Amino acid sequence: MDSRHDIELSVNGDTHRISVQARRLLSDALREDCGLTGTHVGCEHGVCGACTVLIDGRPARACLTYAMQMEGHEITTIEGLGGTDGYSPLQQAMQDEHGLQCGFCTPGILVTFEAYLRDNPDPTEDEIRDVLSGNLCRCTGYENIVAAVKKAAAGMRGEPE
Amino acid sequence: MTVDSEDFTEIGKPLPRREDRRLLTGQGRFVDDIAIPGALHAVFVRSPHGHARIREIDTVEALELDGVVGVFTGKDLNAWTNPLRLAPPIEGLLPTKMTTLPEGKVRFHGDPVACVLAVDPYTAEDAAERVAVTYDTLEAVTDAAAALAPDAPRVDDDLESNLVSRQSFSAGAPAARRREAHAVVEAEFHQHRQTHAPMETRGCVAVWDEGRKHLTMHIGTQIPHPLRGQLAGRLGLSESQVTVVSPDIGGGFGQKIALYREELVIAALTRHLKRSVRWREDRLENLMAASHARENTCRTRASVDRSGRILGLEFEITEDFGAYCFYPANYMSRVVAMILTGPYRIRDYAYEVKVALTNKCGSGPMRAPMAITSWVMDGTIDAIARQLGLDPVEVRRVNMLSPADFPHTMPTGEVLEDISPAETFEAAVKAVDVSAIRRRQGATCDDGRLIGLGFCTVVESTTYGSHFYKSAGIAGSGHEAAWVRIEPSGAVNASVGLMGSGQGYETPLAQAVAEGLGVGTDDVRVHMGHTDIAPYGMGSRGSRGATAGGGTLYLCARKAQERVLTIAAAVLGLNSADTASLRLRDRRVQRRIDDAWQDTELTLRDVARTAYLDPTALPEGVPPGLDVAMTYDPPPMTYSNATHACIVAIETATGRVVIERYLVAEDCGTVLNPVVVRGQQQGAIAMGLSGALFEEVVYDASGQNMSATFADYLLATACELPNFEILHMNTPSRQTPAGIKGMAEGGVMGAIGAVTNAVNDALAPLGVVANRQPLSPQYIRGLIRSAENTKNPRRHGS
Ligand code: FES
Ligand code: FES
Repeated sequence: MDSRHDIELSVNGDTHRISVQARRLLSDALREDCGLTGTHVGCEHGVCGACTVLIDGRPARACLTYAMQMEGHEITTIEGLGGTDGYSPLQQAMQDEHGLQCGFCTPGILVTFEAYLRDNPDPTEDEIRDVLSGNLCRCTGYENIVAAVKKAAAGMRGEPE
Repeated sequence: MTVDSEDFTEIGKPLPRREDRRLLTGQGRFVDDIAIPGALHAVFVRSPHGHARIREIDTVEALELDGVVGVFTGKDLNAWTNPLRLAPPIEGLLPTKMTTLPEGKVRFHGDPVACVLAVDPYTAEDAAERVAVTYDTLEAVTDAAAALAPDAPRVDDDLESNLVSRQSFSAGAPAARRREAHAVVEAEFHQHRQTHAPMETRGCVAVWDEGRKHLTMHIGTQIPHPLRGQLAGRLGLSESQVTVVSPDIGGGFGQKIALYREELVIAALTRHLKRSVRWREDRLENLMAASHARENTCRTRASVDRSGRILGLEFEITEDFGAYCFYPANYMSRVVAMILTGPYRIRDYAYEVKVALTNKCGSGPMRAPMAITSWVMDGTIDAIARQLGLDPVEVRRVNMLSPADFPHTMPTGEVLEDISPAETFEAAVKAVDVSAIRRRQGATCDDGRLIGLGFCTVVESTTYGSHFYKSAGIAGSGHEAAWVRIEPSGAVNASVGLMGSGQGYETPLAQAVAEGLGVGTDDVRVHMGHTDIAPYGMGSRGSRGATAGGGTLYLCARKAQERVLTIAAAVLGLNSADTASLRLRDRRVQRRIDDAWQDTELTLRDVARTAYLDPTALPEGVPPGLDVAMTYDPPPMTYSNATHACIVAIETATGRVVIERYLVAEDCGTVLNPVVVRGQQQGAIAMGLSGALFEEVVYDASGQNMSATFADYLLATACELPNFEILHMNTPSRQTPAGIKGMAEGGVMGAIGAVTNAVNDALAPLGVVANRQPLSPQYIRGLIRSAENTKNPRRHGS
């Protein structure tokens, strides 16, 4: 159970050489071994979505993934979003629309929609709500998050506000 | 204090929140993000039974595991810490005592019995599974009725019964009113057990400095100073030996107020072992063992005349408080009883409040501790309308306090002032177009949907002053403390005893300081959450942040401005009485000449330089430096008000409730920052709807918690909640600094009432009433089926 394995994790373009037990969760490896604490753990049973990261560009629950499975895959976390000035269009829209309060759920939501908007540039409100239903937020009531996603999508399509 | 809110330049601006950048880029700092080298990890062993004697705790196998540092039980911890004694002098409240960990028996499923420390959390989990506890199970009491039965097993062996608190009150002659009444209308309201479920669970990191004999506790807490006092007291340390540091908090909603036993254990072990220890509970523990809330049953009896006017009201509330008292047991229910009559003109009123202990997780205040109040009151109005065949809008009008009634003294002695319930109600009525909905209800009998419209008018007690605590029989103070410091460079630091848990305090509180001082909001930083930096304040609970916290900061900043102007007058060679003709605006000292404000040559920076670096130039009696502190105790109670309107469609085949439209007209006085206020309104309504429709803590008859995952304890997702239309109204308080009234809990109160009243409006043609929550499809479908069976007893067998 406690034998350790040396693995390489590729996160946000950086390579982390870490030594983990086979059972070590990706969420723990990211937060503790790689020092990337932006990925949050809200339930550890796959429901809340706070721990969502991108694995090869697709959203996945880091709390349901073992770190060892990730060799040879590209992981993107909240720390890897945003351009040189710090904010991606979605991050900017979240701030403009007041889409967060405590911010604990926020990384999972940003990561989820960064991927979603890339493939679905013009979602309806129902579609946004459907995707967002995979992320629990206890603070906001979701309305402003939906507005932020819409706004970011419009901006990314090059439409005026 | 006279304040014309029209003149505000900083208060009321929709500024974006300062917290956002760090939170949006993954740079937030929550407890679990704080790296402390060498810290041990704690995991708790918990009772699998609802009620049982602990026969033996065998730790041998656990200790054999590599990496385990120790396993500690009640015997150890209770020797190193003091118990929590709650014995406020409140009539009808039994004094209680709680040890740090139970030794004799466990009282609920999840009760902690031992703490395992190991070098990493995985090992600690493994070891916790190897701790063998032998129990003799006892009969559990799992609801208030069972707990109050004469021969019920006792939850707390030290008490003579499970009735831990009981108070009653009467004003006027409600019994006489009943005899005179045209009709007596009775109604029941069952609110189910819920839990706060902040997305960040509880946790802490404790660091002991043996050289200085000092404990530093990193913990997300809403009340840093009172928590420090509790920690020190329970550990036998002085308050000067404990520092509480609260980092970013991932939601609190009332759950992060009490000092929990687990946190105390971590602190005690840190000191005992002289090693840092950290703990972060998992979601199962959070749902099962952190804190629960809300479970109570209410009954009203309203004596009314022909028009539905309430002549007298009698109210009973019985609360299921769970197994342990982290708060005086009368705390929540008594407030419901005190403010129940809210926006309505009722003189003859009586209440009885009972609180029972049961074998469930202990209860505490959850966003709107008095959540059920408005549902009970407006639900009673709807019951009157149903029984008398009157229009519920008219019955509200007949009973509603009008502007001429204020100030209004409620039968309990509470004074309502500067609120506008009739105005919010009429605004909501107008906005929903009641007659259009009535027409729809008449027309849509056959599409398998029932349409309902519900109103709920809320009078929200936001900010408790010390006088209210005293009159409600709650131990505590309502004051808040702040300091404002203008540094030698003219930079402005400020601090207050509050601690936000996600609301976004940093910007609105900086706005309050900026307004009071006469600088821009960008010039001000407000520091919170560190007990060595912040002044001793009562922290964040209720909706006191804006009025108590913002108000104290605003007053303190005004005092700082006075000091600045006194110095400026001297430097400008003016008579010291001339400060009335000076003001600070945008960091410049301005002087009024012929009714126009003109810049002088002085800036805040110049004055600060004089204050710190050239004190001999200061006028007589003015001390060097620019450091101002003050405390402030708000009025006994500050109230905001709102009317919620909800339109639902019930699918008769499934019982599913769909919210078609949700609207609220809200008056919370002066708003520090409308962005933050709107977020609080949305969040509070969402929490109310989520609780009323989906969430439920479920125990089986033996006291097993059946709802300890997010697959069982259902929070509303984005698919179930609507957008909220918000109509702003603004009646500043004349009693509080800057006219601030506070808000953030009323949304819960209104939502619970409005959605249930809407459901009952929809069900009315069937002759059934939903008087319990959650309004789950099963429950609603059951009500519809019972109506169908009554109508066609033979056709529907099931
Ligand atoms: S922490 Fe992974 S889904 Fe909740
Ligand atoms: S912002 Fe707090 S949980 Fe979403």
